[in-house]
Amino acid sequence: MKSIASAMIAVASTLATPVFAQSAGERIMVTGEAIDTWCYFSGVMGGAEAVQGSAHHTCALWCSAGGIPVGLLSEDGTVYMVLKIENDDGSASGDTQLSIASHTITVDGLHYQRDGIDYIVVSKVVADEDILNRNHDDWGVIPGFAIPEPKG
Amino acid sequence: MMKRIALAILGLATPLSAQDFSEGSTARSWNLYAEQPAFFEAQVVDPLCMLAGECAENCGDGRRQLALLRISDDVLVFPLKNSQPAFTGAAEELLPFCGQTVEVDGLLLDDPDLNAKNIYLIQKIRSSGAEEWIKANSWTKKWAAKYPEAKGKGPWFRRDLRIKAEIEREGYLGLGAEADEAFKAEWFQ
Repeated sequence: MKSIASAMIAVASTLATPVFAQSAGERIMVTGEAIDTWCYFSGVMGGAEAVQGSAHHTCALWCSAGGIPVGLLSEDGTVYMVLKIENDDGSASGDTQLSIASHTITVDGLHYQRDGIDYIVVSKVVADEDILNRNHDDWGVIPGFAIPEPKG
Repeated sequence: MMKRIALAILGLATPLSAQDFSEGSTARSWNLYAEQPAFFEAQVVDPLCMLAGECAENCGDGRRQLALLRISDDVLVFPLKNSQPAFTGAAEELLPFCGQTVEVDGLLLDDPDLNAKNIYLIQKIRSSGAEEWIKANSWTKKWAAKYPEAKGKGPWFRRDLRIKAEIEREGYLGLGAEADEAFKAEWFQ
C-alpha cells in the first residue's frame, strides 16, 4: 500500500494534477511582519524579538534572497509560512517576497494547517505599511556585521 | 531469541508521538537550543501543490519551497535551511528529487515556546536505496552559476545584485539613508 501511495505522491509532485487529499483552506485576513523564519525559529542569532524589524532587516534580505522561507508573524504570534503572494509563486528567493522584507502587511488569503505548521496562500496584499517595527534602537543590528564598517 | 522478541515488543509499545528520528543520524550539531538530530525517509513534495492544489511542473523549477512528507508517520516536515552557514535555504537541495523518495539527515527543531515544530535543517540527502550521500550545500555554487555578473570577492550576500538594489533603495535598516547615517554614527563610534 505504501508503494502505491508513494507512486501517487510522485506523480502529483511532478505533474500539474494534484491527487493529494487537500483540505479546503480557511479564508483569513491577517496583519503581520514579513520575517526570516530560520533566524526566528532557530534562535541562531538570539531571541525572537531581536530577529525582526529594522534591527534584522538586512539579514531578512539575505535570508529571503537565499531562499529561506518568508513567514508572516501575526499580532497573535502565529507564523504563517508564505507559499504564494497573489500571482507570484516564488516562495524560494522570489522578487515579491524580497520586496516586503520586514514590512508589516495585511493580507487576504487561504490558511492551511498541517502538522503544527501554519501556511498561507495570499490572494491579495490589502495593505503594505513598510517597516513599522523600528527596533534597531533596542537591539542594534543583528547580526552585528550586517552593516559593513566604513573604511578609513 | 527471547531477547529479540522482548525488544520487538518494546518497540511496538513505543507510542508514535514519541518517535525518535535520531537513530542512524550523523548530523552535526549547530548548537541550537531546540535541535534534534533526525534521519528519516520522505517524499519530496511541493507544499503549494499538496495543500492548495496549485501544482506546477517539476515542483516549480526552483521557484517554490519544497517539503518532506515523512514516510513513517505521514508528517509534513518543512525544511528551512540547507547545511551552509550562509543564509541559504533548502529548496535548491531538494529540487533534483522532486516527487522522489529520499533519505535525509539533519536537525529537527522542536521549540514549544515559539511553536516551532517539524522544521528542519537538511545536511545531506540521497535517493532511497542509494549508497552515496549528497551534501546539502550546493546553494552558493548554483547562485554563482546563475548570477555570473555578481562575481567578485566576499560572501554572496554582499554581492547579490537584488540585495544591493534593496539596500541602495531603502538602506540597511530599511528606513532610508537618513536613518542609516544616524545609526552608523553611533554604531561605529
